[in-house]
Amino acid sequence: MSDRMLTMAEAVREAMGIAMEERPEVFLLGEDVGIYGGAFGVSGDLYHRFGSDRVLDTPISELGIVGAAVGAALSGMRPIVEIQFSDFTAQAMDQIANQAAKIHFMLGGGLHVPMVLRTPSGSGTGAAAQHSQSLETWFANVPGLKVVMPSNPADAKGLLLSAIDDPNPVIFLEHKLLYKIPGRDAVAEGAERIPLGVSKIVRTGKDLTIVATGVMVNKSFEAAARLEAEGISVELIDPRTISPLDMNPIYESVDKTGRLLVVQEAPAHAGFINEVVTQLVGSPSFGSLIAPVKRLAGLNIPIPYAPQLERSAVPQIDDIEIAARDLVKSWK
Amino acid sequence: MSFLYPVVMPKMSMTMETGDLIVYYVSPGDHVKSGQVLFEVMTDKIDMEVEAPADGVIKDLIGVVGETIPIGKPVLTMLTESEVMAFDFDGPSEPVSEPIADSIAEPVAVVAEPEVVAPIVVAPVAPVPEVIAPVVAPVVVAPKTTTQIKAVPKARALAIEKGIALDSVKATGPDNTIMVSDLAGIHINPKITARQLANRKLIAAGIEKTRSIPQTSFTRIFKHSSGKNQHWQAHLLTTWAAVLRTRLDLNISSINGESESDIGVAMIIKSIYGSALPVFHNPDLLGRKELEELYDRTIRQAEEGKVPIYMLSGATTTIFDLTSFRMSSNTPPLFPGHVTSLTVGQNSDSKKSISLTIDLRYCDFYDGSELLDHLIEGL
Repeated sequence: MSDRMLTMAEAVREAMGIAMEERPEVFLLGEDVGIYGGAFGVSGDLYHRFGSDRVLDTPISELGIVGAAVGAALSGMRPIVEIQFSDFTAQAMDQIANQAAKIHFMLGGGLHVPMVLRTPSGSGTGAAAQHSQSLETWFANVPGLKVVMPSNPADAKGLLLSAIDDPNPVIFLEHKLLYKIPGRDAVAEGAERIPLGVSKIVRTGKDLTIVATGVMVNKSFEAAARLEAEGISVELIDPRTISPLDMNPIYESVDKTGRLLVVQEAPAHAGFINEVVTQLVGSPSFGSLIAPVKRLAGLNIPIPYAPQLERSAVPQIDDIEIAARDLVKSWK
Repeated sequence: MSFLYPVVMPKMSMTMETGDLIVYYVSPGDHVKSGQVLFEVMTDKIDMEVEAPADGVIKDLIGVVGETIPIGKPVLTMLTESEVMAFDFDGPSEPVSEPIADSIAEPVAVVAEPEVVAPIVVAPVAPVPEVIAPVVAPVVVAPKTTTQIKAVPKARALAIEKGIALDSVKATGPDNTIMVSDLAGIHINPKITARQLANRKLIAAGIEKTRSIPQTSFTRIFKHSSGKNQHWQAHLLTTWAAVLRTRLDLNISSINGESESDIGVAMIIKSIYGSALPVFHNPDLLGRKELEELYDRTIRQAEEGKVPIYMLSGATTTIFDLTSFRMSSNTPPLFPGHVTSLTVGQNSDSKKSISLTIDLRYCDFYDGSELLDHLIEGL
């Protein structure tokens, strides 16, 4: 076992480096990913390791960047696109949703787009409404796109390697708050893949199931640790990939605990976690519920700039702790 | 106490799917006697008068004269105090029977169901007219309020399992919701117990009548493993019916001259009200898959205390399959009007026993032995 405690930025960089060493057709393109090392320092020294042919600084044109990547992918390359903030994918949405996602289907499987689009996501950095959104449902609602939301460095590395291997487009959403903090688990050396579409049981418990995504996995983990001290045992599940979604561990967990709390940073309305709930209540595990399903999510507002308002706009550890305790205490 | 009952479009032949309502002989408010003609129905084969299954008062005429009505759909409703019907009708408006969907509890939705199902009545004895199930199905009495009793899903499931009526449970959860812990220590719904008792009485009454029949039983042991065959019962049904079809002279409906070739096999299955005996009509003439689906569906319906009403009558033979209980064979009860009755038991993993009871007036040892030979061959 390795005991390397990397940050998510380091783990993502390591995965890209491994993939570029493994396959000559893998290359990275985006704004400031080269000499500058990436807006959040994720690409780091890759430019110096692989040269300007494989780490391309592009003009400020998201539509152009993704369009170039789709074209490269169609001609046999495996591009990794970095978009500086996930909010800017709006500029490139035609290439993402109308081209990349559909080509495999509309050409009868004749061509495909093995592209990974990596982009920082989420709030908490004081970057305000246009640089702080959690947009996973935009992509998850487009058939043909896979959507990955790693919650820790070890998963980020293994999942990104699988995403690069994948023959079809993958949207890889990296939470900004996770870039600079080491994960709880060491990151293994080597090139081990973590398959897409497999949920992870982060911790086991018997009183309550929490399903959380992205940075909310970490917040839920902290809340669960506090509740453990009171004798409330939380099982925490991280879907890791929201498309495709692996519900089975969630069913099995709810069959055991009978209570479900779902947590996401994105606004509650029409959010991804509602999909988890809908699938659950439509499954035989519905009959295992001994309490109403509880949802914690962002408010239905743009992320505010003022730090205290920004914090209030999305679930925090205290919120998760209170909601979880209430579910367990009120429903026997 | 009186009960609201629908009198439904009866199934008068194997091929009948609908009937035309020709005329009513009663009006709402009329007091009727059991056996009194209520309305007349026409099919492509025959016209038939449908009689009141019990004494009572006509409530609503649902069918429109001249209309084509599917079998099993209510034609009229009546109020009755008949005790037989009292236990027959209990179910669908009760939370124990319809745990979840509000809309299902609405009478309109029930009428719109493709197949009206009746709570189980036992003893599907063809020639005994007082078994009223064939023409009676429940109408759901509209609940006073459309609000469901609030209970968490697990509590609902538990309540059904234990036969606990949710309206008898004190809710201590938020918003007056029944929690799982509220069910702790609650005993079985006496209504269900009462129905189980009534059910057993009816079976016993049927068996009681068998005493006057000159009969005998014998058993064969044979090597057979149903193993993982999930549809062993369907296989047994179809094989036995096929054997009887070679000897229609041993089939009661043929003897009575009612039908030349209808074979109705009643098979015992478990329901929340105890044993149920749905009748599978001519199972040997159905496709294998069709029969397996019918069997699975019937099992599910029986578990909820309901089987389709057309499956409650017309039996000419009975099968008691005890293999799933891992019991070995015993003397099969012969229902009045049946010439044959089978019990299949599991003696060991590889051996089964089949007992056959025969009505000696119609069948002798030689016939019986031949039937068993053919059955075992077929299995």
